[in-house]
Amino acid sequence: MGRKKKKQMKPWCWYCNRDFDDEKILIQHQKAKHFKCHICHKKLYTGPGLAIHCMQVHKETIDSVPNAIPGRVDIELEIYGMEGIPEKDMQERRRTLEQKSQESQKKKSSNQDDTDDDDDDDDEAGPSVQQVAAVQPQAGYAAPMAQLGMPPVAGVPGMHPGAYQGMPPMMPGVPPMMHGMPPAMHGMPPGMMPMGGMMPPMMPGMPGIPHGMPPHMAPRPGMPHMAQAAAAGVIPSRPALPVAQPAVTKPLFPSAAQAQQSTSGVAASHSTAASSDPPKATFPAYTLPSVSSCSSTSSNPSSGTVAKPPATVATKPATLTTTSATSKLIHPDEDISLEEMKAQLPRYQRLTPRQGQAHVAAPPVVSVGGIMPQQQGMPPQQPGMRHPMHGQYGAPPQGMPSYMPGGMPPYGQGPPMGPPYQGGPPMGMRPPVMSPAGRY
Amino acid sequence: MSLFGTTSGFGAGGTGVFGNATTDSHNPMKDVEVTSPPDDSISCLAFSPPTMPGNFLIGGSWANDVRCWEVQDNGQTVPKAQQMHTGPVLDVCWSDDGSKVFTASCDKTAKMWDLNSNQAMQIAQHDGPIKAIHWIKAPNYSCIMTGSWDKTLKFWDTRSPNPMMSLQMPERCYCADVVYPMAVVATADRGLIVYQLENQPSEFRRIDSPLKHQHRCVAIFKDKQNKPTGFALGSIEGRVAIHYINPPNPAKDNFTFKCHRSNGTNTTTPQDIYAVNAISFHPVHGTLATVGSDGRFSFWDKDARTKLKTSEQLDQPITACCFNSNGNIFAYASSYDWSKGHEYYNPQKKNYIFLRNAAEELKPRNKKW
Repeated sequence: MGRKKKKQMKPWCWYCNRDFDDEKILIQHQKAKHFKCHICHKKLYTGPGLAIHCMQVHKETIDSVPNAIPGRVDIELEIYGMEGIPEKDMQERRRTLEQKSQESQKKKSSNQDDTDDDDDDDDEAGPSVQQVAAVQPQAGYAAPMAQLGMPPVAGVPGMHPGAYQGMPPMMPGVPPMMHGMPPAMHGMPPGMMPMGGMMPPMMPGMPGIPHGMPPHMAPRPGMPHMAQAAAAGVIPSRPALPVAQPAVTKPLFPSAAQAQQSTSGVAASHSTAASSDPPKATFPAYTLPSVSSCSSTSSNPSSGTVAKPPATVATKPATLTTTSATSKLIHPDEDISLEEMKAQLPRYQRLTPRQGQAHVAAPPVVSVGGIMPQQQGMPPQQPGMRHPMHGQYGAPPQGMPSYMPGGMPPYGQGPPMGPPYQGGPPMGMRPPVMSPAGRY
Repeated sequence: MSLFGTTSGFGAGGTGVFGNATTDSHNPMKDVEVTSPPDDSISCLAFSPPTMPGNFLIGGSWANDVRCWEVQDNGQTVPKAQQMHTGPVLDVCWSDDGSKVFTASCDKTAKMWDLNSNQAMQIAQHDGPIKAIHWIKAPNYSCIMTGSWDKTLKFWDTRSPNPMMSLQMPERCYCADVVYPMAVVATADRGLIVYQLENQPSEFRRIDSPLKHQHRCVAIFKDKQNKPTGFALGSIEGRVAIHYINPPNPAKDNFTFKCHRSNGTNTTTPQDIYAVNAISFHPVHGTLATVGSDGRFSFWDKDARTKLKTSEQLDQPITACCFNSNGNIFAYASSYDWSKGHEYYNPQKKNYIFLRNAAEELKPRNKKW
């Protein structure tokens, strides 16, 4: 690590001095942490962009870049990824990096890419930070660190439980780990770094790790075992990602925040029970949880709105009504349409007796029932009745007082209507005439 | 034709059967109320085609009736006639010449209502409630298309008791729209099928749904040359997808937008997401209106991808909407759609149909991109 050819070092964020693997990730981080509107959570592209947005849309002025370290809060400086960083600061950074790498050289005897997973390295690993430049690893993490070298996955879990249980405040440091890890862990809480090293592979799973880990990771000495268990444990816990965020969601993985938001959006939509496998899962990595006991407690307020359309994956009809902390579908919980639901009510079924259905409850059908028989008695008025369907078709239309308030020019009334019903205007005039309604 | 002159006085609307009371939330937009609305939820609305002089509105309801009103230029509505089915009416449509109205019902039949003689006769039969009915006027044939919960799509020559054609669908028909030569049917389980109607109806393409929730309503839109080119599909999840059949760049041209949701900017409380109950396109401007279970209607410009207007919230869901033939009138119906289940049904609550002047509010925005 620490390739010096890339723009003098790995991409790093000018606002908070964090390191990242990739400029793309750096930009995502900036958008999510520094260029995000605190009012509407819209992500802008630059500091000045954010200032303009707040002014135009919310009529608010903003004078410093959010989440920036002191000295780097200038909102007028147009920085995008690595572009726009003042040369002075670039040099300062380079110098600091060199210093740190010198320190870590002194501290560890071997190279930084330590991949053994033997216990031998315990004492070595103690003071040094594998894959991490400088930074004094917390003593507590010493042992785990050694192991961490190996299976990144396993390693991470190891860290987490300790970190999580031991020092919640450490968490915030994790996200940065993911990207920047080894080289410049400036500002990274010590001890977090090793985790960072593991992070990249685990990134999506990160949030889930703390959740899944504790059960596995209780005793640290048992690391090696845990490592394996962790690896296994990690996967299933991944889907629990959004859930696992007990309130440390926000600061946790800034760059993953975006992914996380979407994920929580995804998970949110099928959170709670029975979420079946989303047919077009936006995040295929998340095979669906059996862990769904977690109701999405994602504190991401914007997931409801940020989630891109596909993110609210509703899987199978069974889970149609998706409920989450951020959104709720106002629709009954079944795979049938509202009309089908309503049509199942007995009151709407009584009028289809012709088919011989048993639904017809004659009694309730007061007036209608009354009318029907009458119509039956009437001579079929349908000259054109062709269907074998009972003559009722002809009858009902005329039966109900038609609305003919006073001259009905376009629609002839008279004879075809059927004398008994054709009360003519008087009948039609009365709105209350809509007796059929009364039957309800 | 300027339907409603000034905006004054139409609170009084119609023949004054409902003295417009203080505007409680049943009509926050102060639109004209149609007189003698049905006594149960209104399932569908349809205005007469341009071939007929005047505006006649047909509304089908769960009270098993289909009512016809004449809408006069001054905004007054006059009830004209009514027909009954033996089950709730789910859909209505007009023939192209405006002489007949076709009605589809839960009683598994569809009827043709001759308005001149005020007679209705059965013209279709299904094994399940008929959810969608449309008139097809092709150069070489005319027929009625009915989509039913029995998973079939049938085409009927109104003169014969047997269907001219019957197509099997993967699932129950939930909604359909026809603009010759294209027909779109959305079914349960998020099915979406496009049919072409030239010569004879045939299945054209099955489309993967752009939406992730149950389909609820669909409406076809046309391009500048007045040819059907795509459709808008609404789901129960407060979202509408605009989908073109053969776009030059599907990824960019097709899109979805969210609508009928509460708590737009307030993120501390859960957002309520409502179903989109109906979509209608303005016949002249090509802009669209959506109505939802949240009791609001919204106007949108799909080309500029912007919202034109959202109404105030009515106290009941809006279940149906339609534009008249020249686009001056927008009709929408306020009644309970069962979105909150049986518990919220109040049979005492009145159902309304409102008419609004649509000439100005649906003008497209200038494109920004």
